Amino acid sequence: MLKVRNLTKVYDDGTQALTDVSFDVEDGEFLVVIGLSGSGKSTLLRCINRLIEPTAGQVFWNEKEITAAEGQELRHIRRNFGMIFQHFNLVKRSSVMTNVLSGRLGYVSTGRSLLHRFSQADREMARAALKRAGITEQANKLARELSGGQQQRVGIARALMQQPKLILADEPVASLDPVLAHTILRDLERLNQEDRMTVICSLHYLDLVQRYGTKVIGLRDGRVVYQGTQEQIRAMTDNEFKEIYGEEAERVAAGPTKGTE
Amino acid sequence: MAESNKKLAATIKPLVPAPLAGIASLILPGLGQALTQQAKRGIVLLAAFGTTVALFVWRLTDLAHREPTLWKKLGKAYHLNATFVTAVIIFLLLMWLAIAWDAYHSAKVKRRGGFAVFVSVIAVFFALGWQISQIDLVKMVKEAPDALPPLSRVLWPWKAAITYKTETVSAAARVLTGTEYELPPLLPHKEGEPYLEVSPRRGELSQQDSQGNIIPGTTLHITGHNFKPNTVTQIWWVDPIGNEFRIRNEGKYVDVETDNQGNFKKSIVMPYRLIPPSSEGPLVHQVEARQISQSGPPLPSEPLRLTIGRMIETIFMGMMATFFGIIFSIPISFLAARNIMRGSFLTMTIYYLTRTVLNIVRSIEPLIWALIAVVWVGLGPFAGIVALTLHSIAALGKLYSEAIEGIDHGPIEAIQATGANSLQTIMFGVIPQMISPFISFSIYRWDINVRMSTVIGLVGGGGIGFLLVQYIRLLDYRAAGIAVWFIAVTVAILDYVSAEIRARMT
Repeated sequence: MLKVRNLTKVYDDGTQALTDVSFDVEDGEFLVVIGLSGSGKSTLLRCINRLIEPTAGQVFWNEKEITAAEGQELRHIRRNFGMIFQHFNLVKRSSVMTNVLSGRLGYVSTGRSLLHRFSQADREMARAALKRAGITEQANKLARELSGGQQQRVGIARALMQQPKLILADEPVASLDPVLAHTILRDLERLNQEDRMTVICSLHYLDLVQRYGTKVIGLRDGRVVYQGTQEQIRAMTDNEFKEIYGEEAERVAAGPTKGTE
Repeated sequence: MAESNKKLAATIKPLVPAPLAGIASLILPGLGQALTQQAKRGIVLLAAFGTTVALFVWRLTDLAHREPTLWKKLGKAYHLNATFVTAVIIFLLLMWLAIAWDAYHSAKVKRRGGFAVFVSVIAVFFALGWQISQIDLVKMVKEAPDALPPLSRVLWPWKAAITYKTETVSAAARVLTGTEYELPPLLPHKEGEPYLEVSPRRGELSQQDSQGNIIPGTTLHITGHNFKPNTVTQIWWVDPIGNEFRIRNEGKYVDVETDNQGNFKKSIVMPYRLIPPSSEGPLVHQVEARQISQSGPPLPSEPLRLTIGRMIETIFMGMMATFFGIIFSIPISFLAARNIMRGSFLTMTIYYLTRTVLNIVRSIEPLIWALIAVVWVGLGPFAGIVALTLHSIAALGKLYSEAIEGIDHGPIEAIQATGANSLQTIMFGVIPQMISPFISFSIYRWDINVRMSTVIGLVGGGGIGFLLVQYIRLLDYRAAGIAVWFIAVTVAILDYVSAEIRARMT
C-alpha cells in the first residue's frame, strides 16, 4: 500500500509543481492520474520513487517512509517500483538485451555489473521477458532500430526485470498511435490483474481512463481536484472531464476521445 | 525582401530636397545620406570611401616612395603601373558619383537605391586587392614553360624511386710529372684481368699562363686490355693526393668503347691541376679506365626509403598526438560541459574559464604551435607531437563537451529508477550515449592530425614535411615528388577509412 501525504514540490526556478497532494493507493489498484500537461503528473510520479526530491510531505510504502530513505535503502525501495516513460527512455545505442538487463541493476553487485557479468538466471529472465513482450528476435538489435511500440515493450520488459510490486507509468502511450496505446495498456492491465501489480499511470484520453482505471485522481495546477472510483469514472461525462481539464479541454480531450473508438 | 523595402521606405524622411542631398554627398560622401535620415548608410559609405582613398594613397607611397609630394608620387606611380592607377581613379570617381546619386535618388523616391553604389565599392576594392596582393597573370603564363620540367618531375617522380647496384671493372696506370725522379714501377696485374698501358709514362700537366690561356700538357696514348668487350669505358684521372675526376675534352667527358676483344686505344691530354709549388718528391698521377654497369634486381632508392620511413613517422606522430589529445581532453571536456558544471557559481566560473582557454588554444594554428614547440623541445617529431597535442586537446575538448551536453537525460533517469547506484548509472546510462560520438570525433581528429603532421615538418616539427622541404630546397624535384605522392596517397586512404568508420559509428 502506498500512501502519499501532503506532497509539495517547488522547483528551483520557483515553479509550484505540486501543492499538498495526498492520496492512498491500495495494493492491486490501477490508479489513473489525469490532468493537463504541466499539471504535475510527471512530478508526482517521480516524487514517489524520488527521482525528483519533494520539497515537503511524505510518501509511505508499506509503512516505510520513502521520503526518509537514503542511499542503499532508497535504491532497494526503488527496485519495487518499475517505471515506464512517455519517450521510453531506452539507451538507444545499447542493445535491446542490455536495456532489458539494466532493469536488474538494483540486484546485481556494482563490480559484476560494471563488467557486464549478469548471472545466467538474470539472462534467462531477460529472455523470458522479451518473449513475453513478443520481441525475442530483436534481442541483439540496437534499441533505436525498433519501432515506437516495440521500444515501449522493451521499456516494460526492463521494468519487469525489477520484479516490481508497483508500476509507475508516466504517460506510457502518449507517443504511440491509438491501436498501440490499447495494446500497451492491455499489457499493463494484465500485469495488474494477473500478476497483482499495483499500477499508477498518467493518461490523457477519457476513453482510456474509463476503460482501464479502477481509481482516478485529477490534478490541476499541482492540486488534487478530483478523486473517483471505477464506477464514478465510468459514469463520468465529457463535461465533468472538461472541468478537470479546464477551458482547454476541447482541444486536448474531445478529438482523440472519439477518434480512438 | 520587397516587404522589408516597404518597411524601410517609411523611415526615409529627407530633411533637405533631393538635389541638395546629392550635392552634400558630392562634398562629403555619405553626408547626403545622413541628411535623408540614413545615418548608418552614410557612415558605411563614408568609411568605404575613406578606406579606399587611404589604401590608394598607401599604395602610391609604396610604389613611388622617393617622390616628395603626393602629386609627384601619383605621376611616378602612373609611370610605373598605369593600369592600376587609372583603374582605381576611375572606380573612385564612379564610387563618388554613385554615392551622390544614391543620396539624390533616395531623397527623391523616398526609397533606398539599388546596389550600384555597392558595386562601385566592390570594384575599387577589387582593383586595390589585385595590386596589393601582387597578382601577376602575365608572369604566370610566361613562366609556365620554365616551370614545366620541375613540375613534371614532381608529378611523375618514379624514375628516382628505383636504383641498381653498380659493378665497376677498372684498371689504372701511373704517370710521373717532372724529370728529376725515377719512373715508378708498373702496377702489377694478373693474367686475364684488365690492365692499362700508357705512353709516355712521364709528362707535363696542362698549365695556365699569366693571361689565363691554357697551355696543353703532354698527350698520352692509353691502351686498355682484357676489359669487357663492346662497353663504354670512362677515363678518370687521379692526382697524387687522391682526387678523382673524369677527363674532359672541350667540356665533354672523354669516353671510349671497347672492341670485340675488350681492348681499346685512346689519346688524352694531361689535364690541368693546381700543384702546390712547395710539394716535394715525385708526383705520381694515375690514369684510370672504368666500366660501370648496373647489376642485380631494382632496389628502392634512398629518397624512396627515406620517404617511407618518414611517412611512417608521420602517421605515428599523428597517432601519438591523438592519443595524448584524447587522454587530456576527456577530463577537460567535463569541465567544459554546461550541463555538468551548472551546479554553482564556482563551477560555472571554471566552465567559462575552460571554454575560453580551449577557444584560444584552438584558434592558434598547429603550425604556429609547432614553431613554439620547436623552441621548447627542439627540432624533430616530438615538437610536432607537442604542437598537435595542444591543438587536439582544445579541439577534442570542445567536441567532447558538446557530446556530453547532448546526452539524453531520459535513459539516465530510467536507469536510476531501477535502483542502480551512481557508478552503474554512469556505466549503463551515460557511457553508452557518449562512446559513439567520442570514437567518431577521435577518429576524425586522428585523420586531421596525420594530415597536419605532413606539413608540420615544414617548420621543423619532424615527419615527412621536414624531408619534403629539404628536397625542394636542394632542387631535387623527383625526390620531392615522391614525398608529395606519399602524402597524397596516405591522406586519401586515411580520409576514406575515417569516413567509413565514422559512417558506421553513427
